[in-house]
Amino acid sequence: MKREVIRLENITKSFGNVQALNGVSFSVHGGEVVALLGDNGAGKSTLIKTISGVYSLSGGQIYIDGKPVIVTRPRDAMELGIETIHQDSSLALDLSIARNLFLGREPVTVPALGVFAPLDRRELRKQATDLLKRVGISKKLDADAAIGALSGGERQSISISRAMQFFAKIIILDEPTNNLGVEETNGVLRFVKEVKAAGHSLIYITHNIHHVFQVADRAVIMRQGRVVADIDVAESDVLTIEGIITGADLKELAAAQAHG
Amino acid sequence: MKRSFWQRPEISSFAILCIVIAVFSGTNPRFVSAQNVSDILAFLPELGIIALGMTLLLTAGEFDLSVGAVFAFCPVIGLLLAQHAGISLPFALLLAIVASGLIDLANGYLVTKAGISSFLITLSMLLLVRGTTLFATQGFPLSSLEGDSMLKTILAGSFYAGPVRIYASLIWFIALSLLAIYVLSFSKIGNWISAIGSNRSAAVARGVPADAVKIGLFVAISLLAALAGVMSALRISSASPVAGEQYELEVIAMVVVGGTALTGGRGTIIGTLIGVLLLRTIRNGIVLVGVPGLAFNIFVGGIILLMLMVHSTMQKKYGRV
Repeated sequence: MKREVIRLENITKSFGNVQALNGVSFSVHGGEVVALLGDNGAGKSTLIKTISGVYSLSGGQIYIDGKPVIVTRPRDAMELGIETIHQDSSLALDLSIARNLFLGREPVTVPALGVFAPLDRRELRKQATDLLKRVGISKKLDADAAIGALSGGERQSISISRAMQFFAKIIILDEPTNNLGVEETNGVLRFVKEVKAAGHSLIYITHNIHHVFQVADRAVIMRQGRVVADIDVAESDVLTIEGIITGADLKELAAAQAHG
Repeated sequence: MKRSFWQRPEISSFAILCIVIAVFSGTNPRFVSAQNVSDILAFLPELGIIALGMTLLLTAGEFDLSVGAVFAFCPVIGLLLAQHAGISLPFALLLAIVASGLIDLANGYLVTKAGISSFLITLSMLLLVRGTTLFATQGFPLSSLEGDSMLKTILAGSFYAGPVRIYASLIWFIALSLLAIYVLSFSKIGNWISAIGSNRSAAVARGVPADAVKIGLFVAISLLAALAGVMSALRISSASPVAGEQYELEVIAMVVVGGTALTGGRGTIIGTLIGVLLLRTIRNGIVLVGVPGLAFNIFVGGIILLMLMVHSTMQKKYGRV
C-alpha cells in the first residue's frame, strides 16, 4: 500500500440545525485518483470547502502525511499542499495567464516591501512560459494573454497546472468538466491522467460516472452527509455505483424487470 | 490573443482628448493662453487626486459616493477644531484627515463584512457626512484659513513656470499618480486588486485577503479626498460645507471615460489621467467657445456617453482581452 497523503477522520459540519456532514472518513494515497460521488445535496461541496479552508470544521480531524493539521483559511490549505479547483472557475478572467498562475504567490524583487513589493515581471513571465511548455498545453498560448480569451478546457488546464506547479500534495477538482464540450472534456481527462502519472494525488468530484471509470482508482460515494461506499473502481460497474448514489438497488431493479 | 497597442482603451480616450483640445484651441485662442492653462491646472489636481483612489477602488469592484462629502468635511472640521478647540491648524487638519479615514474605514467594514453593496453604503455615508458638515457650519462657509503659511506653501503654494502658474497641488498629483501607477500595475497588491475585482472568490481561494484589501482601498480614497479638500480650501482660503458637491459622479465619470471597467477587474491609471484632463478641459473650454453655462452639462454628458460607447464597441469587437 502506498503512503497516505490525506486522511479525513470523522469530519462533521453543521450550519445551525442542518447537519451537512455527519462523520466523513476516508483517505487518499500517493498518486491515487479518488472520485467523490453523490447526488446533489449529498455533502460533496461542503466537504471540499472544509478541506480547502473555506468553511471551518465542526468536528473531526484532517491528517496530511499522517500529521494532524488545522485548516481555517484557504491559505492554510494552500500551504499544506491542498489545491482546490472550484467549479465556478478559479481564475480571474481579466488577468493574464502568468498573473493568474502566480496569484497569491507572486514572485517579487524586494520582498521587504510586503504587499507593495514590486512584481518580478521577468520571472513571472519566464516561469509561466516554462510551465505552459512543460504541461504541454497548446504551445501557442502566450503567458501574457488574458484568461478571458481562452476556451473552457484551456482554462481548466491552466487551473490544474497552477496546482501542479506548486507541488501540491493533493489536487481537488470540483466538477472540472462542467460546461465543457466533448473535445475539451477529453482534454481535461487526459490532463488528469498526466497529473496522476506525475505523482500527484487527486480528489475528483463529478456527476459523470463514465469519467470515473476513465480516470479514478477508487470511488467514495456520499449520501446525506455520510460516506456510504468506498470501492475499488476496477471491481465495480456503472449500475452498481449509480445504485449506491441514488440509494436504490438498480441491479435488482434491472433483474426484476428482465424476469418480470 | 494579446491586445495590440491600438486597441487599448486609453488610446481612444487620448484621441478624443486631442480632438477636443484641437477644436477648443481653434475656436478660441484664449483657450491656450497662459492664464487659461493656469486655471485648468489649478482645478485639475483636486478632482484628479480623488480619481486615482477611485480607479483603484473600481478595479477592485467597489465604488465610493461619499468622496465629495469628505472633500468638504475634512477642511471644515479641521478649521472648526482650530477655531474652537484652540489647537494649531496643521494639527487640527491632521485630526480631520484621520476622522475622514475613519469614515471610509466604516464604509469598508460595512461593505465587506455586512455584505451590503457599496452603492447603498456610501450613498448613506454621503448624506451623513454632508449633513454633518452642513449642520456643523450652519451652512455658512468658514473663512480665514490663513494661519500657517508653511502648510499653505506645501499643499497649495504656487510658482510661475514662465507665464504659467503652477500650484503645489499639481506636483502632489503627479507624484501620487506615479505611485498609483506603480501600485496598480507593478506591485503585488496591484495584482490582487485586479483579481479581486475580476473574480473575488478565485482570489480568496488563492489566499488573497480580499476584504482587507478593499477596506484599505476605501481608507485610501477617503484620505485622498480629504487631502484634496484641504488643498482646495487652502488655495481659496475658505472651507465651504457645500464644496465638492457631485464630485463623486464627476470623478467616477473621469475614471470610466479613461477606460476603467465599472464592473471591476480592469483599471488603468493612465486612462484616468486622460479622463481627468478630458473632463476638466471640456468643462473649461465649453465656456470659452461660448456655450451658455446652463447648457454645458448637455455637452459633458454627451461626450461621456460617446466615450462609453467607444469603449464598449472596442470591447465587443476585440473580446475580453
